[in-house]
Amino acid sequence: MTIESQNEQQPFYATRDDQAPTFSTSGFVNGEIKTFELEQYKGKWLLLFFYPSDFTPV
Amino acid sequence: MEILAISTDSIYSHKVFRETTPSLQNVYYPMLSDRTHAISKSYRVLDEKTGAAFRASLFINPEQIIVAKLVYPREVGRNLYEHVRLMQALQHAKNTGKGVPANWMPDQS
Repeated sequence: MTIESQNEQQPFYATRDDQAPTFSTSGFVNGEIKTFELEQYKGKWLLLFFYPSDFTPV
Repeated sequence: MEILAISTDSIYSHKVFRETTPSLQNVYYPMLSDRTHAISKSYRVLDEKTGAAFRASLFINPEQIIVAKLVYPREVGRNLYEHVRLMQALQHAKNTGKGVPANWMPDQS
């Protein structure tokens, strides 16, 4: 089975020991909207804290 | 250690949430908007039914490898003490080159 056909059957989803998927998106901090990219955090420990929704208990 | 909070809400929702919620007045970490669901999907923490992210925490090392992934149930909030312990234990392991035993606490050598 080729790598391509494996990928079709099982899409890549990140978990432990995987390279963290890159992203670039807008974020709000200190009253400002800025762009945040994963690459900015190279060399640092990073915690990504996903939560369901604003205005609900975290 | 850096923290990024992420939900599928819009950036404007984050702004209002941050500015009107008393318990967030001291929040210093950025709140990221994953409006397209792309980030939540790639980390496999998207609830496809609701379009909202799971309550999930990803620990990423300085080489940008995922070293831990905690996914919580819908109805139970996180243990933030465990988050701190885990982050400190990861750094301790890296500094000493040794494994970290069960129930290790940061004041132990």
